[in-house]
Amino acid sequence: MKLNKLVSSAFVALALVTVAPAAMAAGGPEVKMVGPTASRVDAESLQRGARLFVNHCLNCHSAQYMRYNRLTDIKLTPEQIKQNLMFTTDKIGDTMKASINPKDAKEWFGAVPPDLSVMARSYTTERLAAYMRGFYRDDKRETGWNNMISPNIGMPHVLAEMSGVPTVREQVFKVDGKDIKTNGEAEGKARAAFIAATTMSSFEHHVEKKEGKEEHHYIVRSIVPATDGKLTPTQYDVAIADLVNFMDFVAEPHKAKRVQIGILVMFLLSILLAAAVWLKKEYWKDVT
Amino acid sequence: MASKQPSMFTNPVMRWVDERFPVTGLMKEHLTEYYAPKNFNFWYYFGSLAMLVLVLQIVTGIFLTMNYKPDANYAFGSVEYIMRDVDYGWLIRYMHSTGASMFFVVVYLHMCRGLMYGSYRKPRELIWIFGCLIYLCLMAEAFFGYLLPWGQMSFWGAQVIVNLFAAVPFIGPDLAVWIRGDYAVGDATLNRFFAFHVIALPLVLLGLVAAHIIALHEVGSNNPDGVEIKQGPKGNRWSKDAPADGIPFHPYYTVKDIVGVVVFLMIFSAIVFFAPEMGGYFLEYNNFVPADPLKTPDHIAPVWYFTPFYSILRAVPPMFGSQFPGVIAMGLSTLIFFALPWLDRSTVKSIRYRGTQWKTWFTIFIVCFLVLGYLGVKPTTVWGQFGDWASFLDTKDRATWVARFCTVLYFAFFFLMPWYSAADKTKPVPSRVTYGDDVKAVPAAGE
Repeated sequence: MKLNKLVSSAFVALALVTVAPAAMAAGGPEVKMVGPTASRVDAESLQRGARLFVNHCLNCHSAQYMRYNRLTDIKLTPEQIKQNLMFTTDKIGDTMKASINPKDAKEWFGAVPPDLSVMARSYTTERLAAYMRGFYRDDKRETGWNNMISPNIGMPHVLAEMSGVPTVREQVFKVDGKDIKTNGEAEGKARAAFIAATTMSSFEHHVEKKEGKEEHHYIVRSIVPATDGKLTPTQYDVAIADLVNFMDFVAEPHKAKRVQIGILVMFLLSILLAAAVWLKKEYWKDVT
Repeated sequence: MASKQPSMFTNPVMRWVDERFPVTGLMKEHLTEYYAPKNFNFWYYFGSLAMLVLVLQIVTGIFLTMNYKPDANYAFGSVEYIMRDVDYGWLIRYMHSTGASMFFVVVYLHMCRGLMYGSYRKPRELIWIFGCLIYLCLMAEAFFGYLLPWGQMSFWGAQVIVNLFAAVPFIGPDLAVWIRGDYAVGDATLNRFFAFHVIALPLVLLGLVAAHIIALHEVGSNNPDGVEIKQGPKGNRWSKDAPADGIPFHPYYTVKDIVGVVVFLMIFSAIVFFAPEMGGYFLEYNNFVPADPLKTPDHIAPVWYFTPFYSILRAVPPMFGSQFPGVIAMGLSTLIFFALPWLDRSTVKSIRYRGTQWKTWFTIFIVCFLVLGYLGVKPTTVWGQFGDWASFLDTKDRATWVARFCTVLYFAFFFLMPWYSAADKTKPVPSRVTYGDDVKAVPAAGE
């Protein structure tokens, strides 16, 4: 189908090559997202994303407003959908439901995993991509995993097999009487380390009270990418871009059609504008 | 209504109707023989555009109602159903959501026009009052409608606004329960807000719009010069009794407004088709998360069109342990517009002939309105905090102090108007409207 091509061909290069560092603070530590940001790409990317989505996400999450037969919009035939992508139902008009029982999910993760139908719209695609690349090993957590974008989230790193096991490098800057004498210096050094980091990193400032005295800690955490995964870091980034593209499609299946119709509407309105201006000019010749 | 006029139709069916219903009379009175000043400029498009958006909202609203379910368990899902499974449901929904914001864009510009050219002055006080009522009604309509998608922002936004009523002394808490129909925003609230949004307020709105236009056509339109064309010379190429500077609304302003409509539709369509969320301002990101009474969002901000007033609410510090003064200030900031016709004591209407004082105050007002609007979208910490020296202040947030400063100026624009508008050194007003080449001929002498 040509609809996705139209929107996307321009983004293909952009999405996979650009390194777009973006800092954002969302109630927690400041995070620098380094790496590709996803944009909806071609049908092949969406199909690869669909495979990842049904194989890994739908185990625990639902996309309860998304029907399987809508996947024909990304150039899949009903047979392909039935044979390769449907595990929890055999009716192609059904919506995507998680395989897990919500009660079990609540017991295992502390909360029912949220529905993913419009996740790309509320969480934004940039943050989703960063989130999926933001997992690192953390033995303090029950699941053994932590995440840089959503710290202390209950979700484990389900794609660890593909990415390998990323770890985190933590640098704490505080007044130690030797190299760092003031809080300002500590913050300055932490900022410098945060800016210099080449992988996804977070900057956190917190104040600890020790014996009535305030101690300022500036913590910079940087992800150390793994090398033991089935995919290389670059391949993993592409896989995540595919997944996020697909989730963007799930969040608004008609997006490509919307843009396509929009171009036509703008074209027709510009013709109407020319006619309207001419009509106005003709009539207003009377007015002196 | 119009006295009996000879029918303008030759078609026998229309003649038959005309003998029983004043088609000819109404058309003449409101269109072909309604003489509007010929010097309308850019600012005069927004009245007809507001009508257009009203119609768009009603029509798209009807189609949305066919598929929407006002039930706390189904509301969010039914909106997604509209977006995915209803044929062109996404288009209807985006038109409605974009229309809501564009309604305010158009109405704010329309009101700004009224302020600039003194369109609220005698004899148009009632037009202005009907307009203010329309604006209040529109705010209520937008507020009730925003709950319906039942997202996080819908829920918490409604929670915050209803809680304002809880700040009323003595009866507050009971009043809030009475409004919600429950101890928290819930299914009962959703159902009644739906009723208000789809029938009660649209009815009132339509009635007020009719009153606004009837009052307008009774006294005639103002214009950028603030000159009364009815008091000027008579006779033009269409009628010997009509004001010389008037032209028939139809066809001249209808064809002109069509140009405005098409330009507006291009902007409107660009938003609907290419950026329906408008970067989170028309559709907030958090509203794609279903309402969750147990999870308060980090930052609750109303939609952009309410934020100037929300800023005023936040700027007023609690007094005697009550938020009520803030609520009063916010209420007053919307109601103060009603008093405008009696606050303005200038000898001229239009900004073109006003002096420096009024122009300065008007600029201050517009800037304050915009700054307050901006601050209302952001957390109060957006501009950082004052240093430790400021510990005697009740808040160190710089933005709160800027908002307070702007709030004071906002009210000063109104409350000081009787003095500065009267004291202002005005320019002489021409006896006729300025149009085309004679714009240059505005008398400059006597300044």
